[in-house]
Amino acid sequence: MKRWLPILLSIFVLGASIAVRAETDAEVRARKDALDVAGAFSNDGFKIRDGHWCGVLKPHDHTLVAVNLYAGNQYWFSAAAVEPAKKIAVSLYDETGKQVTTESYNNEEKAAAGFSPANSGQYFVSVDLVEGEGGSFCLVYSYK
Amino acid sequence: MIGLARVGVLALVAGLFAATGATDTGRLPADQLEKAARNDSISIPTPGELFAALGKAGKTNWSGQYRGPIPVTYRNRAQIALNLGGLIADGFIAVEAKDSQQVKNIGSDIIKLAKALGVSENLLGRGNSINEFAENNEWDTLQEELEATQNEVKSSMQSHADQDLVILVTLGGWIRGTQVVTAAIMQNHDERSAKVLRQPALVHFMQSKINEISPELRKEPLVKDVSEQLGEIEKLVSFPAGKAPNANEVRKVNEAVGKVMAEIESKELPK
Repeated sequence: MKRWLPILLSIFVLGASIAVRAETDAEVRARKDALDVAGAFSNDGFKIRDGHWCGVLKPHDHTLVAVNLYAGNQYWFSAAAVEPAKKIAVSLYDETGKQVTTESYNNEEKAAAGFSPANSGQYFVSVDLVEGEGGSFCLVYSYK
Repeated sequence: MIGLARVGVLALVAGLFAATGATDTGRLPADQLEKAARNDSISIPTPGELFAALGKAGKTNWSGQYRGPIPVTYRNRAQIALNLGGLIADGFIAVEAKDSQQVKNIGSDIIKLAKALGVSENLLGRGNSINEFAENNEWDTLQEELEATQNEVKSSMQSHADQDLVILVTLGGWIRGTQVVTAAIMQNHDERSAKVLRQPALVHFMQSKINEISPELRKEPLVKDVSEQLGEIEKLVSFPAGKAPNANEVRKVNEAVGKVMAEIESKELPK
């Protein structure tokens, strides 16, 4: 048994590292897709931030990301998820947790929300899994 | 061609949704907001975002906000990191002023300070790109390059186990950015531009990140001083939502960040 233990451990570690790599690849794909969505707004003068948030969406759950916005600017928050997630939505909440009115774009596993804050301060971007199983997603934002 | 068609469809769909407007309204409980994800690269705006917001309210005299060259021979790593952030903010100011020579000078100083911290050699390439874009007056690309430079400095710090310095770079940039914006608003006060100063959660977040750095670094006199003053600054930028700070309130913020900036720049470290 002692002889087999290192081999079993090696197989476990190898399997785990493959799983981690697969998740990283998924996040990279999600980020690329999110940047594709954001790229469409660049034509309208929006600059894409060189920052992002990647994570995992779970069924019947959402991920909240805190952002700090300036009154006077316009923003688009673009997100994309990879399979098995099928449909996502992006919404925005103010610092009191009240949902704010946004412009929105939805295209299955890609979505975006546009917002022009009247007040500077903290806001929360919510990325929701609307359809499908949990999967990796990535959020980027652009401003002008 | 396919890419263009996709962009066109995307823009059209976005436009249609924009026309219909509102989403359902709802409210999230405080405990969920508390647990929201936060990180340096998405929760903290760049100086460029701050300057973009200020620029909406009217014409700003960006070149009037320049400061004299700062020393690039600091020995204290925390001080170098704070000044590096300030210099990156200066780069954004020069881009707003569309001043290619100033951008090149600042770009060169950024590389010198970054090298003093021993960050990646790749930054030399960034320095060359900054020069090239400045010579060609590619201002939008320069903004992106400055942000990418800042992120590269930070990721290099993280890979060299210097992650404690990352928040200091961000903080230095925010302090310098706020100093410039408050100075510009003081020259020409109007409510719209003054509204950009309301950022209590942002300052609170940076303060909390400083509280997470190693006790040794936190005990350093400069870091300790800056951290203490940040608590005061948080109070000064905590205006009620919807209320624009008046001229006196803007002046108080300017004085507070100016004091911190003077300490960060000084060759004489606090004891």
